[in-house]
Amino acid sequence: MSDDAELLQRIRDGAPDDFAEIVRRHQSRVFAILHRYERDGQRVEDLAQETFLKVWRALGQFDGRAPLEHWISRIAVRTALDHLRKDKRRKNEIGFPELGEDALDWLRSDDEKSELDARSAAELLALAMRELSPDDRVVITMQEIEGCPVREISAVLGVSGIAVRVRAVRARAKLKRALEKIDKDGQLQPAQSTKGET
Amino acid sequence: MNEKKLKQLFSAARREPAPAPNPDFAADVLRSVRQEAQSKSPDQFSIFDQLNRWFPRAALAAAAVIVLCVAADYGLTAAGLPELSDSVSQASSQLFFDVEDL
Repeated sequence: MSDDAELLQRIRDGAPDDFAEIVRRHQSRVFAILHRYERDGQRVEDLAQETFLKVWRALGQFDGRAPLEHWISRIAVRTALDHLRKDKRRKNEIGFPELGEDALDWLRSDDEKSELDARSAAELLALAMRELSPDDRVVITMQEIEGCPVREISAVLGVSGIAVRVRAVRARAKLKRALEKIDKDGQLQPAQSTKGET
Repeated sequence: MNEKKLKQLFSAARREPAPAPNPDFAADVLRSVRQEAQSKSPDQFSIFDQLNRWFPRAALAAAAVIVLCVAADYGLTAAGLPELSDSVSQASSQLFFDVEDL
């Protein structure tokens, strides 16, 4: 089995069908990244397709200094960020999804040992994240869920490392407030969504 | 919402499995790549590339026209008919004198 560099060389030498192998190798990672930003399975697949088309178009720019997986992951996060920016207005118009009882019970519980299942946690987090701007969502998701270093986040957002750290602190505070609102009201209201954020 | 609870939430959300790609996903991507390559292929040629592509055909067409003209000239000479160049000079001198007469 040839490695990514060999496959890329074959594609550059005129064997575009080998790109399918690149897709097969990295599709799980791309789906996992995109699923952090979009919960609808069909939309995740559309975004994954868009990601790989961008990868195909930019293959000539890949210099091989970083592993291909990192480069593809970065393109996936940028695709997700574009999607969040486009989608923000539409989501404000259609209102907020219902949250399961498990998540609300966990949120209201004072027992620090009570655990929340992964799906409910992701739903609760996705709901609270809707109070954040797309850039804030990317910072929180990359830092807290993906465990990415600050330099990786700054490369995706095109800002300095200090700007990422400042944004992360503010985004975390906003997220806490959003969770407290859900805790208090049992739901977020569309009218409470933030406006004019970048 | 305290910090510990927030970390618990992140930790639990991190464990959620992502949806699996459908088995034909890679083939679908490749199809899209091919469609895009086909739809963009005419733009990838510069005007010089286009000329280079057309040059062999244009050169063959020009050679065929020259061969036809030479063959017609020889044919007319062999048949005892006036050459094409004679007819042309005759026609032009007639026109010249006609104009002068006016």
